[in-house]
Amino acid sequence: MLSALIFIPLTIAALIGLVPERFTANWLRSAMLVVASVLFGLTVVIAWQFDPSNPGFQWVEQRTWLEILGVSYSLGVDGLSLPLLVLNGFLTLVAIGCTSTTLDRPRFYYSMMLLLNAGVVGAFVAQDLILFFLFYELELIPLYFLIAIWGGSQRSYAATKFLLYTAISGVAILASFLGIVWLTDAPSFSYTPGLGSSLALGTQVILLSTLLVGLAIKIPIFPFHTWLPDAHVEASTPVSVLLAGVLLKLGTYGLLRFGVGLFPQAWLEIAPWLATLAAVSALYGAFAAISQQDMKKMVAYSSIAHMGYILLAAAAGTELSLLGAEAQMIAHGLISALLFLLVGIVAKKTGTRDLNVLRGLLNPERGLPMVGSLIILGVMASSGLPGMMGFIAEFMVFRGCFLVYPVQTLACIVGTGLTAVYFLLMINRVFFGRLPDRFDHLPPVQWFETLPAFVIAGLLIVYGLQPALFLDWSKAQVATIVPGLVLQQDVLDSTLLHDALVSQSPVRPSPI
Amino acid sequence: MADIFLQTCWFVPFYGALGALLTLPWSSGLLRPIGQRPAAYINILMTLFSLIHGGIASAAIAGHDRYQIVVPWFQAADLDVSLAIEVSSVSLGGATLVALLCFLAQIFGLGYLEKEVSLARFYGLMGLFEAALGGIALSDSLLLSYGLLEMLTLSTYLLVGFWYAQPLVVTAARDAFLTKRVGDIILLMGIVALSSYGTGLTFSELEAWAATSPVPDGVATLLGLSLIAGPIGKCAQFPLHLWLDEAMEGPNPASILRNSVVVAAGAYVLIRLQPVFTLSPVASDTLILIGTITAIGASLMTLAQIDIKRTLSHSTSAFMGLVFVAVGLGQVDIALLLLFAHAIAKALIFMSIGGIILNTNTQNITELGGLGSRMPVTALAFLVGGAGSTCLLPSGVFLTFRHWLEEFPQMSIAGVAVLVIVNLVTALSLTRLFRLVFLGEPQMKTRRAPEVNWLMAVPMLTMTILTILVPVALYRWDLLALSHETSPATHSTMMLQVVPPLLLLSGLVGVGIGLILPLLRTGARSMNPAIRFCQDLLAYDFYVERIYKVTVVWAVMSLSRLSVLFDRYVVDGLVNATGLATLFSGQALRYSSSGQSQFYVLTILVGTGLLVFLAATLPF
Repeated sequence: MLSALIFIPLTIAALIGLVPERFTANWLRSAMLVVASVLFGLTVVIAWQFDPSNPGFQWVEQRTWLEILGVSYSLGVDGLSLPLLVLNGFLTLVAIGCTSTTLDRPRFYYSMMLLLNAGVVGAFVAQDLILFFLFYELELIPLYFLIAIWGGSQRSYAATKFLLYTAISGVAILASFLGIVWLTDAPSFSYTPGLGSSLALGTQVILLSTLLVGLAIKIPIFPFHTWLPDAHVEASTPVSVLLAGVLLKLGTYGLLRFGVGLFPQAWLEIAPWLATLAAVSALYGAFAAISQQDMKKMVAYSSIAHMGYILLAAAAGTELSLLGAEAQMIAHGLISALLFLLVGIVAKKTGTRDLNVLRGLLNPERGLPMVGSLIILGVMASSGLPGMMGFIAEFMVFRGCFLVYPVQTLACIVGTGLTAVYFLLMINRVFFGRLPDRFDHLPPVQWFETLPAFVIAGLLIVYGLQPALFLDWSKAQVATIVPGLVLQQDVLDSTLLHDALVSQSPVRPSPI
Repeated sequence: MADIFLQTCWFVPFYGALGALLTLPWSSGLLRPIGQRPAAYINILMTLFSLIHGGIASAAIAGHDRYQIVVPWFQAADLDVSLAIEVSSVSLGGATLVALLCFLAQIFGLGYLEKEVSLARFYGLMGLFEAALGGIALSDSLLLSYGLLEMLTLSTYLLVGFWYAQPLVVTAARDAFLTKRVGDIILLMGIVALSSYGTGLTFSELEAWAATSPVPDGVATLLGLSLIAGPIGKCAQFPLHLWLDEAMEGPNPASILRNSVVVAAGAYVLIRLQPVFTLSPVASDTLILIGTITAIGASLMTLAQIDIKRTLSHSTSAFMGLVFVAVGLGQVDIALLLLFAHAIAKALIFMSIGGIILNTNTQNITELGGLGSRMPVTALAFLVGGAGSTCLLPSGVFLTFRHWLEEFPQMSIAGVAVLVIVNLVTALSLTRLFRLVFLGEPQMKTRRAPEVNWLMAVPMLTMTILTILVPVALYRWDLLALSHETSPATHSTMMLQVVPPLLLLSGLVGVGIGLILPLLRTGARSMNPAIRFCQDLLAYDFYVERIYKVTVVWAVMSLSRLSVLFDRYVVDGLVNATGLATLFSGQALRYSSSGQSQFYVLTILVGTGLLVFLAATLPF
């Protein structure tokens, strides 16, 4: 089943080239919508059959492959990856849905889309370190082309920057994987939780740091983030939706799966620094967003800020915070996809994303009132308004981290406050005010353009009101990561930890 | 029969939300041909349902004890969140009062926004407003109240920004949201901390938790201060008070609610949190200090304003300051009574000036005058509302103040002084307003002002009657009964015999000064530099806004610019310096064609392949 999710898109991606020229981009889009729906349907089936009470891997597939290298083709999905898998299926559908019907080189475009989808699915379900790495690299190539060919005016610069950053990220991850397997004399590259614990602490820290640099580039975390705003600004709307919604999650997923999972001991060692880095990243992203003049850049910087919360949650490593991290991944995936989608519509209708130019788009007669209302909803979700999914995730993260890293948590809460500041600046500039004459004749927004936005907005509210719907998927699995963390630490024995929690003093000293 | 209404009382706030949902077809333009009015009617009907439901339920609760309805919400790891609703005469009474005021304000709105094209959007937002307010009245959980306060923040933003094409409205909406948000974020910190320290988040659990004095003093102080911050923002208290007067740029029917029940919602949450403040004397003292500063400062500000709505909004802040003082002293019952008496009187005043603004098209009091003979009903409403919100006659506010002294005879001289000063200045400022607006010569804009239309007159008269009935209601519902036997100490008899007459006297003195004060229209700004300085100081709200501009706003903006510069020159600069410069700068990149792109990909693939190959061949 999981193989099908990888190989169906791969096969179709290869076959698309054979589609004759006379089929238009519009036709191809419809066909791809069907394909994406089928793929999404498959993930829904997997989710449906998934047993949330079982913390282990399900739908496991195991084949020998490159035995000499110790690499095996082993797939599986658990509570950590399943929500991301479904998110990926859904957002691919959304991305194809919001692709322009008059696209240049549509065959190549859709084949890259599907390749990207296959790469992301593969990375989420891979149970072998090298297999993960291969899919991680595979996803990079189509994304590079998607930005470099269908992007904005500076697309070459952005795409190359993206490629180089992510390639370095891949190399760092690979180095860390090779290091841990070789140094521990593990028989194969298959994913084994707690694998690194047998190494000397210093070695572990070095390997983990290498891995973290790789993941921090992908997430992205300050100071490895500058590729993201450029990539977003140049990427077309569907690519931005996928980039923010799913691809960044590869990094945070790696953080939970490999960072916490492989090196629990070293993780505890450097977690305080990570928490501080997370707070810096969250505040930095938020402050940088305030001064942006491009709507997309603003949303991109807000992504950096929101990813900081996930790093904070991972650093705290309590059960609640890890669950919060998972929830934040999904919430951010949906919210940023929604915002990029809507910003894309604004840019398409008005021809600009410049905050100094746009005005008064909320005008009910000649403006874009529906898009405006949805964006208001989206930014409110992003700034953590209760009743929507973002709040649940952030509240769980903050609540889970507060006792461990109070200062950093409070800094991140300030970050959510700043979210409201920059997004309100955007709403005030773009949607309030008087509609200038140059926007007098905006093309009408078709219903199918806003349909995905309505669906996402609906999901945000439903999940915001009924968080159990998505939390139940991950609860059992997340609970197993944490004990792994707690049991294997020599630094604090469990009674000490218990006492520390009861007396409500910080468990680990924070570096600041 | 009534019991059914009581059991389903949790549904009272949902009528408003339902009304808001039902306006969507109109506000989204789907039902353009049949006009926007039906959306308004649906909302008014929904509010009426809510009023009837709430009214019957409040009557039915009289025989019952208060109880809680707890709904488990979600559970994750050690976090178990339940939402709770309190069913008691106070909570149901609050919800009914909200429904009543919303109902009247919405009918008033039909007249006020007669020609508005986006009527459906307005009523949708009012429905949201109503739902959030009713929810806060019923809520028995801090987290639920927080969520509803945020919903209130959002709907305030959208209602203040209703006429978003005007520049002042845009900044007003932004400031309203951000100021409240500052308070809310600090409140959220408090909630996160409280929850982390192991207490459940319903108010009763908090009370039980606070009784065990579980945290060290320093933590308790920080907790208390963070919990105060939310209500400070909501109730427009110093230093988060500026939004309320700016928010007066919004449509008047929303201002009616904002100055009566919305500010009260913040204070209501504060009242529910009072047990936590007992943990820390600093928190209680802060409440009293902030309340006093705001009460006196905002009262003084009313004297120099020339915008009719802003004048009154400052007096709302001042009154909320007294509520803060009451909560700080631990007098929660008094605080509730103050909210009740104030809400009704203030709503009436705002209806009255709504009529003036609509019929004269101005909010500037120097352009008004002589309206008394032209708009007698409105003038009467203003008089009754003004009398109801000061201690001039045995009004609701006076009775509440007197009851406060009975309940709390050990109140210090300073406390009495605050009451007297606030009362005097409020009376003075209302008299000044009355003279400028209703007396004197008609001005250009008032000469042809007609009396308000019936859609506004009916709610106005209803409110007038209600305001007059407030003292009766206070006795009838036995709200002024002493909660405990006070010992007849000399101090208390002195308090009771001297202070109430003093309060009445201060009201009269205020009116007297207001009547003899020279009022000029064109020359309102004095030529005397000293007086002029004081006038400007008060008119510009003690320049607090400018102070914010050069401190908080400046700091945030500088940090923001700094991080952008850092991003561009340091982070990217370092990246470029570390050997990638050749790729990012200069000709290579600018002319990179698809051929070159493929070259990069090839490089990556070869590199990866090489690494895998090395991995395979190197001895393990």
